Amino acid sequence: MTSTEHTKAGAKSKARFRIGDRVRVLNMPYLFYSRTQMYVRGVVGTIAAYTYEDLIPEDEAFNLDGKVEQYYIVRFRQQDLWPEYPFPNDTLQTESPERWLEPADESTSTHDKAK
Amino acid sequence: MSSSHSQGDHHHDHPHKAAPTVDEITDFEVLEIAVRELSIEHGLFTAEEHRRFTEWAESIGPAGGSRLVAKAWVDPEFKKRVLENATEACKEIGVDWSEPTGFGTPSDYTHLYVLEDTPTLHHVIVCTLCSCYPRPLLGMSPEWYRTTNYRRRIVRWPRQVLAEFGLILPEEVEIRVEDSNQKCRFMVLPVRPEGTEGWSEEQLAEIVTRDCMIGVALPKPDRKVDTHPIRKARRPVKIASVKEEAAK
Amino acid sequence: MTPETAANRIPILEGIRNQGKTWDVLAPSYGVTNENPPWKTSLVAVCGCLGTSDALPALDIREAEDELADTIYRDVPAPERQLLALAHTMLDRGLVSEHELANRMSKIRSRLEGA
Repeated sequence: MTSTEHTKAGAKSKARFRIGDRVRVLNMPYLFYSRTQMYVRGVVGTIAAYTYEDLIPEDEAFNLDGKVEQYYIVRFRQQDLWPEYPFPNDTLQTESPERWLEPADESTSTHDKAK
Repeated sequence: MSSSHSQGDHHHDHPHKAAPTVDEITDFEVLEIAVRELSIEHGLFTAEEHRRFTEWAESIGPAGGSRLVAKAWVDPEFKKRVLENATEACKEIGVDWSEPTGFGTPSDYTHLYVLEDTPTLHHVIVCTLCSCYPRPLLGMSPEWYRTTNYRRRIVRWPRQVLAEFGLILPEEVEIRVEDSNQKCRFMVLPVRPEGTEGWSEEQLAEIVTRDCMIGVALPKPDRKVDTHPIRKARRPVKIASVKEEAAK
Repeated sequence: MTPETAANRIPILEGIRNQGKTWDVLAPSYGVTNENPPWKTSLVAVCGCLGTSDALPALDIREAEDELADTIYRDVPAPERQLLALAHTMLDRGLVSEHELANRMSKIRSRLEGA
């Protein structure tokens, strides 16, 4: 779905994550609004694609370091996002800047949502 | 003022009737002008910016998207280009995402990704945060797309919401919801339906409606119009009730 | 954090709303088949232009519109709902005053009716 340059593992050498990496969405405090939806916070997904590099929106960062970050498409199983979601094959994707993600270990439970 | 389709003239001895117009000036019309003029006077934007934006808004519609899908269906090399760099590929069908500012609009940007459906993977698009939409390709978003009812429920209950549009898919098919919460904009490239063998691009484009490119409908040889939703939403959402839904 | 828009009714906008002259009713009564009123694209352009301004960034407009659309303008059809919500938000934030708006509307009406 993205450019072949973007989908080659390691092509984006500054990017922290590679396609297929398991990542967890952080749950950071924010002052005004955030583009990281509540329903993905604390949930583990998989890096599906690179999109572009961009600045963090002003409202998202306390320290406006002016650095450019990699953005990713992250894919989640719907059964990991919602309690009692009945269909095991369904997924959801959303876009995230790198600073909202951390590596998730293989052994990490996907139900880490902070309540 | 508004124009409309001519009503036709069945009386040959009368002069041709003018197309009907709404012959009154509503306060809504006046309000829009007032908001615009006051914004310009307060320096929120310039008249020139507004004029350029209006021209762009009048130029867009779903025809571009339909053309792109039809061409991708008949031309595998074009389809490859669409999947590799959709923003560039749009230029081949006459859509330039950098309009009207040279850098795109403040809500469409220039990062288009086309999501390819397969027989076992069906995409549907939403923007839960604010109803972002690939306007340069699809025109203005339909009103239902902008409602909290759609935006909050399609991520949580996609199969139920799709059923309300008349689309029911087998459990084996992966339904993938794409929530466009950042700068990427998405459009669905549906599977080309059976019964369209040998069709021209123009014929194919006719059955690729806006709803097919959002993912709430499948293209069919005899389907040229979007009609929706066909069933009322079950328990239109309030945030609190998401947990109640989960408990049912 | 919820937007600051209070679901307070604004008299001048209530007056406009209560006339009920929305396009979905007006157009058929005149035999006009256009789906949208002639000012709709201009409204889209206003929102688009404001979206780049600091005074009313795009996400703010959207959040405010959502809140108002779910509450006091719930029963108004689109696009009138969008127009009222935008005007409401601008009034709430002090970008224009009710007095200014009323005056300007009256001048515009004279201009259009005198033409």
